[in-house]
Amino acid sequence: MNLKKTLLIALILGLIAIISWETYWRSQGYYPNLDDNKELWAVQRAKVNQLTDADVILTGSSRVLFDIQLNEWEAETGIRPLQLASAGASPLPIFHDIVENTDYTGTIIVGVTPGLFFSTTYPLALPWDWPQTRVNHFHNRTYAQRLNHQISLPLQKSLVFLSANEMDWTDNIDLKSLLKTINIGDRVMDPMPPFYNFFDTFEDRNTTMTARTVNDTAFANTIKKVWGYYGSTSPPPDKEATMAFFVKDAKKFIAKGGHLILLRCPSSGGDRIGENHGLPRADYWDDLLKQTNVKGYHFEDYKQFQNFECPEWSHLSAEDARFFSTELAKIMIKDNVINITKTN
Amino acid sequence: MLFNSLSFVLFLTIVLTLYYLRIFNWTNKKRMLLLSSYIFYGMWNPPLVILLWISTLVDWTAGKRLAVEENQKKRKLWLLLSMVVNLGFLAFFKYGDFLLENFTQLVNAIGIEFQAQPMDIILPMGISFYTFQTMSYTIDMYKRKTERARTFLDFALYVTFFPQLVAGPIVRAKELITQFYEPKKATVNQFVWGLFLLTIGLFQKVVMADTLLSGTSDNVFGANKILHGLDAWIGTLAFSGQIFFDFAGYSTCAIGIALMLGIILPDNFRYPYAAIGFSDLWKRWHISLSSWLRDYLYIPLGGNRHGITRMYVALALTMLLGGLWHGAAWTFVIWGALHGLYLVTERLLKKVVKLKVNNWNGVLLALITYTFVNFTWVFFRAREFSTAKDILSSMFFMNPEGEKVLQTFDIIKVFSVITILFICHWLMRNTSMKTVSLKTPPWVLGLVWAIMFFLICIAQGSGEQFIYFQF
Repeated sequence: MNLKKTLLIALILGLIAIISWETYWRSQGYYPNLDDNKELWAVQRAKVNQLTDADVILTGSSRVLFDIQLNEWEAETGIRPLQLASAGASPLPIFHDIVENTDYTGTIIVGVTPGLFFSTTYPLALPWDWPQTRVNHFHNRTYAQRLNHQISLPLQKSLVFLSANEMDWTDNIDLKSLLKTINIGDRVMDPMPPFYNFFDTFEDRNTTMTARTVNDTAFANTIKKVWGYYGSTSPPPDKEATMAFFVKDAKKFIAKGGHLILLRCPSSGGDRIGENHGLPRADYWDDLLKQTNVKGYHFEDYKQFQNFECPEWSHLSAEDARFFSTELAKIMIKDNVINITKTN
Repeated sequence: MLFNSLSFVLFLTIVLTLYYLRIFNWTNKKRMLLLSSYIFYGMWNPPLVILLWISTLVDWTAGKRLAVEENQKKRKLWLLLSMVVNLGFLAFFKYGDFLLENFTQLVNAIGIEFQAQPMDIILPMGISFYTFQTMSYTIDMYKRKTERARTFLDFALYVTFFPQLVAGPIVRAKELITQFYEPKKATVNQFVWGLFLLTIGLFQKVVMADTLLSGTSDNVFGANKILHGLDAWIGTLAFSGQIFFDFAGYSTCAIGIALMLGIILPDNFRYPYAAIGFSDLWKRWHISLSSWLRDYLYIPLGGNRHGITRMYVALALTMLLGGLWHGAAWTFVIWGALHGLYLVTERLLKKVVKLKVNNWNGVLLALITYTFVNFTWVFFRAREFSTAKDILSSMFFMNPEGEKVLQTFDIIKVFSVITILFICHWLMRNTSMKTVSLKTPPWVLGLVWAIMFFLICIAQGSGEQFIYFQF
């Protein structure tokens, strides 16, 4: 057995295979992108302990994640906010964690996506379990996991094929996801429509909608179908429990000296119709403001935000998000509800 | 730290570089390995390294005294100290919550109102492995079956050697400590073969267990529904493959990594799904644990020296405790009990049925053995008895209206993987990978290696832990 020869052959063939694989996926339009996973979230969460009262934390669901662009916000205010929002999640567990487990008394902007905010407090329900898993991971992550994440970042930024994703996107290209795309017969029907990744993530979790979602209507329509599926299969909102849970935390945070702001980001098309019908503003948003007694910003109240068209009904395009962030920061500065460190 | 993680790739590269650079003498290389092993363990939870230190110190001291002490009573006390500390760790960290829960149920059952706060004790990774390994040293010292470790460094490295620290193989002192006495360096062939074994181990874990099989078994065992018989069978078969590839994969990685350092670790698996009967199975599955249980439990309980009844009791008890070793739950006890029952039944049958095994009936007997093994895996995988009961009733086709949760492709995939696995085990039954590799042309072996490497890269495991770490 000539093992040296064997190793050499394996190395050459292995490298050829990997390079071919990488080249193939790039030719299919894929480009390196970071996975917005629990590790990336935990790195940001860890920074909370170093924040001052002048800082801003963003939390909420995917709308805050997409719609508030950190660069524009920082350019306007001089402060780069900490992005702790989590897609597909209720903001309640993360807000609860900050209130209960940190001494932070700066500003927290909580995004209110009505369907998720008022969804549930049941620990095993997905909108709760998903962010809670991130919170738990932050508290329990090992040094090995932290190191793995740090090593993986430059690789994720450079290689397309290293794009395993915490989210079960239909267009993931790890082996397990590729096998899932093989369908023979219809023994079990999966009612969930295909759900493709439609955002780019950066290291500090600044997130933008992909250009494809904006430019390719057919692609954007696939995302709309997913919102339609969630809208038709989600259980009814649990306003009483979610409101009570959040109001208690909000009062505790304010009593500590913290500054809470609520934000309702834009939606359009079918999503907005569904939200207006199922979770009307007067019953949910207005009542939430009343019960928490904090300042809130609803996109409908500002002329410049009223005519946004979200490409897939729920989130702003990168360009609109930049405009939204700048304008929102200006409004908040004018209202004197956030600090600014910008000197000019 | 996990073998299938980027941090381990970095860690191993640094360790191998320091090991093969000519900057350290052998003693310093061992110190470096020991420190690396503590880092390897501490990267998971640093304070729990203290348990390793306590175990090491206690057993080193006990071994030292056992080597010179002639007074039988005092010798027993030193052995007892080692057992109390190691089993005490196990009892507290692994079985604390289980014992409390059962105590609460028991007192409630007899009418006493009592509610205990769960202790939520963290389970130190690999505690069952290193406590058993270090106990084997003191027991062997007590029985004068092994010599005292020459230096504390050799002993500490034996307890902590990172390739096999958290999931075995459980190595006896005379197999490993003696290798630390003389400078060790892998030959080029050993190094490359070690790298090949590491690749195979990672392939088994990342591709076979995590990518091809775990999803199906998770889907079936997490369904919380009465399932169709085919789904129940496929889920169970998937788990049988997953646990083999997961655990054998870890052992193969461990053996390969140690070999890259010039250290030889014993085999832990020998194609177990080709076993003909259950005695044969336990000579092929987790060999280092089954031989530990045989030498330190079954034989001290009397073995076959005190008549048939006592032998059966010893056998059943050994398997029961073997089951409990795997996890603090009654489902694991039932898993062990079933294996005990199988072993007793097999011995009884062998007295009545005299059968000459050949290739034709052998494969049938192996298939029957594998089928019965699958029934035990149901208890091993199910978190609740009710789940195990539902899956088993579906496997016996008692739920024809049961729900279907698996896609056709999942069924074909699992069936194909398991069929290939069984055929491979049968063909490899009386040989070894090394022997087969020797007969294989380098380009074929290189191609296989490259395919495994490629599939590991594109599978990109989630980095979640090996199943056996929790034991």
